[in-house]
Amino acid sequence: MRQAGAYSGILSGGISKTGPHSLPLARIKKIMKKSSDDVKMISGEAPIIFSKACELFIEKLTKRAWIITMQGKRRTLHKEDVASAVIATDVFDFLVNLVTESNVADNKCEVNEDSQVIVET
Amino acid sequence: MADGQGSSRSPASPNGGGSHESGGDQSPRSNVREQDRFLPIANISRIMKKALPANGKIAKDAKETVQECVSEFISFITSEASDKCQREKRKTINGDDLLWAMATLGFEDYIEPLKVYLARYREMEGDTKGSAKTADGSAKRDGMQPSPSSQLAHQGSFSQGMNYGNSQGQHMMVPMQGTE
Repeated sequence: MRQAGAYSGILSGGISKTGPHSLPLARIKKIMKKSSDDVKMISGEAPIIFSKACELFIEKLTKRAWIITMQGKRRTLHKEDVASAVIATDVFDFLVNLVTESNVADNKCEVNEDSQVIVET
Repeated sequence: MADGQGSSRSPASPNGGGSHESGGDQSPRSNVREQDRFLPIANISRIMKKALPANGKIAKDAKETVQECVSEFISFITSEASDKCQREKRKTINGDDLLWAMATLGFEDYIEPLKVYLARYREMEGDTKGSAKTADGSAKRDGMQPSPSSQLAHQGSFSQGMNYGNSQGQHMMVPMQGTE
């Protein structure tokens, strides 16, 4: 009856960087500190709240984007679906610049690819 | 062919990064910076997959976009919470400030699940703090925490959390950690 002790995971170097949370708290804290020069001190529970909030955020954004993937009768979620979901959802307004900027870059790539295809054929 | 993949990959990931600071995407340094700026893509991918039906697939560019969006989300909420702290002349951003900021910015439907999550966490931490107060007794009983310094006690709360997380985690996420 050999069973791993309660602390064996920690003693052998930890189960994961995230502990019970699905996202690493230290990384969240770094991103928080980068968001403004005014951010000097962060309570211990703030990154913990974010670890869950980010999870909810990713789920909602992904589900919204998936609806658009489905509307296009596709099975693979692409960047453009995420961008469309952001544009179509009020609470994601703060992301519009981010997704449209990367779309511009992406469109350029597509144009290049298209022109290459034309040259080839 | 491999080159083509590589070059289509590089503009996508530093896009969000480039807008914050000037950073070359070819130097190995940018990797370090990316680690400071984004949450790990493996974790994000795992959470995204959970939100899709089993037959759904996710393109890499979609994962990278969501990765950028999450960092933006953290900054967006933190800035609002930070402004509130400044107005109220407090120096530390606490959990309630974040909840308030989320409610203010349209994420009020996150509040309830977050409160539940936080309450569970506080319960766990409360247990550990309790054992730290009666450090002698608990140390003898556990035989595991010889010096109850505040830092160790804090780590202790996470270690308890891991056990808790594991029982939860089995149906929450795939227990594969080495995919980075």
